[in-house]
Amino acid sequence: MKKYSAALILPILLLLIPIIAPSFAAAAEETVCLQCHGGQTGHLGEPVPLWRESVHQANGISCHHCHGGDPTDFAMAMRPERGFIGVPADNDIPAFCGRCHVGVLEDYQASAHGRALGSGGPQCVTCHDNHRVLRASIDLINPQDCSRCHDYGRAEELRQAVSGTDALITGLENDLAELHRLGFDTKPMSGTVFSLRNDFHRLFHSVDVEKVRSKTAVFAQDLDKVEKEVAAIQSDLGKRKLWGGAMVVLLVLAGLYALLIHKSYQEETGED
Amino acid sequence: MANDSLPPNQRRFFLTIVLGGISAVLSVAAGWPVFRFLSPASGGGEVKPVEMPRAKIDVGGAQFFTYHGSPAVVLQKSAGEFVAFSAVCTHLGCIVKWIPDKEEFLCPCHAGRFSTDGAVLGGPPPKPLKSIPVVLAGDLLRIG
Amino acid sequence: MSLFKGLMDYLDVRLGVRDLIRQNLTGYLVPRRANFFYTLGAVLLALFSLQFVTGLLLLIHYRPDAANAFASVQSIMNDVPYGWLVRYAHVVGSNIIVIALLLHMLSVLFMASYKKPRELTWLVGFIAFNLALALCLTGYLLPWSQLSYWATTVATDAAGAIPVVGEMTVRFLRGGAMVGEATLGRFFALHVMGLPLLLGAVIGLHLFLMRRAGISRPPFGPDYEPPAPLTTFRHEDHPDGIPFFPHYVTKDLAGVFFFLAALAWVIFFAPVLFIPPTALEPADPFVTPPHIKPEWYFLWAYQTLKIFPSKVVGLGAQGVFMTLLAVLPFLDIGPERRPAHRPLFVACYSLGILLMVALSIWGHYS
Repeated sequence: MKKYSAALILPILLLLIPIIAPSFAAAAEETVCLQCHGGQTGHLGEPVPLWRESVHQANGISCHHCHGGDPTDFAMAMRPERGFIGVPADNDIPAFCGRCHVGVLEDYQASAHGRALGSGGPQCVTCHDNHRVLRASIDLINPQDCSRCHDYGRAEELRQAVSGTDALITGLENDLAELHRLGFDTKPMSGTVFSLRNDFHRLFHSVDVEKVRSKTAVFAQDLDKVEKEVAAIQSDLGKRKLWGGAMVVLLVLAGLYALLIHKSYQEETGED
Repeated sequence: MANDSLPPNQRRFFLTIVLGGISAVLSVAAGWPVFRFLSPASGGGEVKPVEMPRAKIDVGGAQFFTYHGSPAVVLQKSAGEFVAFSAVCTHLGCIVKWIPDKEEFLCPCHAGRFSTDGAVLGGPPPKPLKSIPVVLAGDLLRIG
Repeated sequence: MSLFKGLMDYLDVRLGVRDLIRQNLTGYLVPRRANFFYTLGAVLLALFSLQFVTGLLLLIHYRPDAANAFASVQSIMNDVPYGWLVRYAHVVGSNIIVIALLLHMLSVLFMASYKKPRELTWLVGFIAFNLALALCLTGYLLPWSQLSYWATTVATDAAGAIPVVGEMTVRFLRGGAMVGEATLGRFFALHVMGLPLLLGAVIGLHLFLMRRAGISRPPFGPDYEPPAPLTTFRHEDHPDGIPFFPHYVTKDLAGVFFFLAALAWVIFFAPVLFIPPTALEPADPFVTPPHIKPEWYFLWAYQTLKIFPSKVVGLGAQGVFMTLLAVLPFLDIGPERRPAHRPLFVACYSLGILLMVALSIWGHYS
């Protein structure tokens, strides 16, 4: 009889297993751009690994979003009739990037940097690199890079002027990321900080120290509101930990007392 | 431990009381979040009046609305004269209807009848409908 | 006190409660050397009860439709008073349950308690284990996050490897070609109604079988001898044992408290231990996030499927393994239970655990 019951259970279990044993074998779909260039050597293949480390890749911005073309069709991928742009000339780079980074372009064009475009002035990739575009940080203003074109003195002044606000923004972003990880709905706050960050970044693309200084107070005020909200949540989290810690201690104590009671019975019955 | 000198049953008595105490604290600590989780959302404490354009109510007509989470009705008895009541019948809590022909409120559950002043005209209701103050400010009614 | 006595008298006349208490609590003797692993049954009962209560509370605010599910979970975490606590208790509780289930199974295997006359207790327990995992899997989808969506997509996709009926099975599991509203509907129904009812019944049967055969004596100590094989039904008595109540219960209680302490510790100090970042993004059927991994207790299966060149073979290997485990009492039929006298079994047991752990770690880092 036992054998029969086993024989009955077997097929049922075999049916169960695929349900409880997932195979996770999905691979993200690659565009034809990446498929071809990814395998190429030399300068045609270079952009792919660089791009993979970039902030663009992290946000789902792929080759065709900037260079145009058809990412689904091998034959037509690089045809102008499919919107392929290819590589922009140096002087066209600000316009090329500015199709998305509209605000920054505006302030850049009005700046000393922008006005010097075509006569030795820097464009976007001079500082930001091209395919390996990293998330912009204040470290882009440094003696090595700035002194390629001019004295670092002015740049250092600008760096000083933006560093306070920049640190504030970066700190808040880190705090918000941490809270988001814990399940808090940080979207409204992140939205505010993101928009302030963008405004601030386009502001200092004007490379005008006086302008940056005069506007810093406004940014500080707006950031302070978010900071207070974050601080309130963090203090709440602290309280949770305090209460939680007390609960853990009490539960362990309760367990120990139960064991002590058990031990007292053991002694009574002479159990080893 | 000092307890070791005590006989097991006496020690156990003490231990059981402590364990009972800890368990009581733990039960409260577990029960409180559940109680808060299930508690109805507080309405922010302050009682806010409901605003409504006067054009919504005809002369001799009634308009039902929600006032602090329960049904209420505002009535234009004669041109410019507004009264408002809780629409919850004082008998068993059904919602009264406005009967324009008879100019009275009728509760469909047990035929309780109320006048345009909220007073009981007949049927089982023990008390008049609860009145809500109405103020007319320009074209806007402020109820509550 | 006389009020209590009066109540007892009243119930005794009608139900024979004093007899019940003597038979099942004070006069019910359990093995003297029952070790800490014997408390895992009580621990699991407590944890399942906690899942039931927290699940019931979550059900008040959860919305089982694709448009609102994620937002309703967000709202539970952010707006509902102590919603975060209830949700974390449910999520962390499910993982602690899997840990307790594994320990329970491993200890029963090590002490060979599954052997005659307890084969059916083991089999029913194994079914309960699978039902618990099915509860985990169906519960995973409900928050409708990126993790929920894609984990369910690949988990149901695995069924496609079954010859002939694979395609149909996948569609049937999902209620359509892709994971979607229909999948959420059926997983929700299973998770809150179907599986809990079934699991409750199976646990009831498991307890009945356990109580009927009696608790098995631990196969340790100098005076342990394997009993002669049974030919007729006999409840395993322990005349020299200790009363279940109040003596043994204190130990069970200690086990429950220690597990609850561990649960509370994770909830308050490491709440995201079992929650990957992709669980915080709403489901997007058009974007597969990178590095989707199953929960830690499915990693071994995940890695097995990757090792084998063909999915069918991988699935088959898992099927054979799980089936062997299920029918182990019907294959391993000798009366010997002492680990020292079962070198082959202990070797397989240790290697099996090592293999599972290794596969899981490999799966985690691959």
